[in-house]
Amino acid sequence: MLELNINGRTYRLKVHKENTLLWVLRENLGLTGAKYGCGKGICGACTVLLDGDPIRSCITKVGSVLGKRIITIEGIPSDHPIKRAWVELNVPQCGYCQPGQIVEAYALLSKNPKASRQEIVSVMSSHLCRCGTYTRIIRAIERAQRLMGVKA
Amino acid sequence: MISRRELLALSGMSLGIFLTPEGFSVGKIFEKNNLKPTLWASITRDNYLILLVNKSEMGQGVYTGLAMLVAEELDFPWDRVRVRSAPAGDAYKDPKMGTQLTGGSTSIRHMHEFLRVLGASMKEMLIQSAMDEFRLRREQVKAQGGYIRFDGRAVPYGELWEKAVRLPLPTKPKLKEPSEFIYLGKNLPRIDAQEKVDGKAIFGMDVRMDGMVYAMVERAPFGSKPLSFDASQAKKVDGILDVFPISTGIALCGASVDALLEARRKLRVSWSKSSIEGLDDSSLEKLFFEALQKEGRVVERRGNTSQEWQRATKKLSTTYLLPYLYHATLEPMCCVADVKKNSCKVFAPIQAQTQALNAVKDITGLAEDRIEIITTYLGGGFGRKAHVGFVAEAVEISKKIGKPVKLIYTREDDVLSGYYRPMSVALVRGTLDEKGRVSSLYFKVAVSSGIDWASAQGLEDMPYQVPSLYVETLSLSPPIPVWFWRSVGHSHNAFILETFLDRLAKLGNRDPLDLRLELLKNNPRARRVLEITAEKIGWGKKQNVGLAYHFSFGSHVAQGVEVIFEKGEVKVVKVVCTVDIGPTVIHPDLVVSQMESGIIMGLSAFLVEKVRFSDGKPTTLNFDSYPILTMDKVPDIEVHVVRGKGPMGGVGEPGVPPIAPAVANALLWGYELEINRLPMSLYK
Repeated sequence: MLELNINGRTYRLKVHKENTLLWVLRENLGLTGAKYGCGKGICGACTVLLDGDPIRSCITKVGSVLGKRIITIEGIPSDHPIKRAWVELNVPQCGYCQPGQIVEAYALLSKNPKASRQEIVSVMSSHLCRCGTYTRIIRAIERAQRLMGVKA
Repeated sequence: MISRRELLALSGMSLGIFLTPEGFSVGKIFEKNNLKPTLWASITRDNYLILLVNKSEMGQGVYTGLAMLVAEELDFPWDRVRVRSAPAGDAYKDPKMGTQLTGGSTSIRHMHEFLRVLGASMKEMLIQSAMDEFRLRREQVKAQGGYIRFDGRAVPYGELWEKAVRLPLPTKPKLKEPSEFIYLGKNLPRIDAQEKVDGKAIFGMDVRMDGMVYAMVERAPFGSKPLSFDASQAKKVDGILDVFPISTGIALCGASVDALLEARRKLRVSWSKSSIEGLDDSSLEKLFFEALQKEGRVVERRGNTSQEWQRATKKLSTTYLLPYLYHATLEPMCCVADVKKNSCKVFAPIQAQTQALNAVKDITGLAEDRIEIITTYLGGGFGRKAHVGFVAEAVEISKKIGKPVKLIYTREDDVLSGYYRPMSVALVRGTLDEKGRVSSLYFKVAVSSGIDWASAQGLEDMPYQVPSLYVETLSLSPPIPVWFWRSVGHSHNAFILETFLDRLAKLGNRDPLDLRLELLKNNPRARRVLEITAEKIGWGKKQNVGLAYHFSFGSHVAQGVEVIFEKGEVKVVKVVCTVDIGPTVIHPDLVVSQMESGIIMGLSAFLVEKVRFSDGKPTTLNFDSYPILTMDKVPDIEVHVVRGKGPMGGVGEPGVPPIAPAVANALLWGYELEINRLPMSLYK
């Protein structure tokens, strides 16, 4: 039995420590917001937060996250300024990469609320979006900064 | 009678992911002009409009655009509209294509009349129903905002719907005048945005069924097949249920993805010698250029290009080479299938429902009404998911093991499965007359075979009025499967045509914009998008700018770019795009986002994309070896939507073709770089 703390809830489940966090979230817990995209930590679609830091769950063993707080896209409230900004600017197209993008942006603004355009681009460039929503993602993060009152 | 399949679809129970409001009712079906309101829509008692959309939502915003058409005519509040995917079935075939398919940038073009008539008919039936019920005359009743209003009362549509659908279908429902529109032309919130940002939208990859197991397939390399396999070690992996051959390779079933990945490492398969053994990038190149010597199919011939070539003093000849491209949908191919003795259920992110239905019928031998195929959200499509081989595989596997199965392609499986945009090479010749006008263009194009009819797209139908034009295409058949890739032939041919025009302009010491405008004398829409774009990008004021124009899928698109080329790196600073899809623009912001999307995908292809081969196999296997564009490489993009006179054009694809030649042209004028083969990264 392993114990995982996800989105403020404790889950007890029978999986090997060697199992991949992404698949445990998706298959065992039904938390399908984090997506499989590459399995190598390149595309960012599987991003979740581990004690506030964004990690690639597709290359993370479940044994390495025990006792730590995990936040997934499902754990970020619908009315959070980041999600509101995303909806207001019609950011998602196919939407598949968006949970990873939003989790990354959430972590960025939690640590660096006043992140500059350059800092935003530098962090978010680690995520792939085939629909090309990049320009809107930048605008949405800056919009969220205004909604959060951290930038004019 | 309404079938079980339709009932299920309408009630939305199949996925259970959408809000299912109370008091659902399904009335009788009206059989007239293929307009059967209850097959397409229902209004619940608590006043939600439920629409079944027969087109796949893959990011292009089709759920939003199509729902707006119905909501507009019905006069229904947008926040109470719910969309579900229509199941695969005859009723949901595209009325103009005769098949259920999302492709060719046609969804709005093919469905808008039908859906507006649907909405208008529903409204008239509701009005009639209110008149009957409350004994009113027509002029006393108004339908507005989801309510029938009369005498200071407001009755929700939902309370009247059950009776309304029993009324005869209006013969000529009155459509709104543009001045009466409340939604069309406005930037409404995307109907799928909230669930997508919440991680709750259900993609093919996210579907779960009770008792479901996971499956993967070890597929044969191109031009090869399995001779034998040894699964003894693979079967020992904890959680592995079975390993068996299917038509495309060796299937593995197991309780988890982790188990499958481990088992695959232990599976031993011996494959037959590949018919392309040893083939690599340079031998492919040689093969294609040699093919240009052969005789092809002449698809356009006017004037006399060979005579012009003999006669002209200013002339140019060059060749182009454009690579195989991978779609790289962020969601790899995947499918959930549950084959039972007397029925089959499929959930899949597909663009081609009719083809999927036919494939399932073939494999299961079941009658159509025993097969339910539900289209999930697509995590990207770009044409790839119109090939439904992955559905067939999942159905074959489920049938064999008698359980619901989720078939997953790893990223590597996805790349190796092929169905790339065809590779192509071209020989191009052109001449200028004594006044420096383009007098002839000659194209001979050789493409990787599979979708040959697309090989002359954008050349045979070019809007440029060139006195002499010759287009010949031929195909060659290495066993590398090819398929539609967002704008397909246009993505090749716009590059060839538009860069060649600039080289001719350079040869003749002409302004490439003037040279184009001269060839578009009778085409005010084309001229306008070019002129606006040129002005906005600073044409004539800077050296490092380039322009391109292309007409595809009924839409005129011009793009202008500003580039910087430094230390072998191309930096695209700015893109201006002007698009004319005709007088009716349903949702301007969705048009803008499709242009942004097409520009970024086209720029990605221009800069870095190529499926590479070595020893008969692709060596590009994941995003490390097949990179796609990241945010730091993306320019500012400014899109102008103009409304020209003419038929409605599409938006999903036309944004792609002009960007690559526009960048190449900027490099030509700004930096004397001639780009004859893509991607640009090869020039380093």
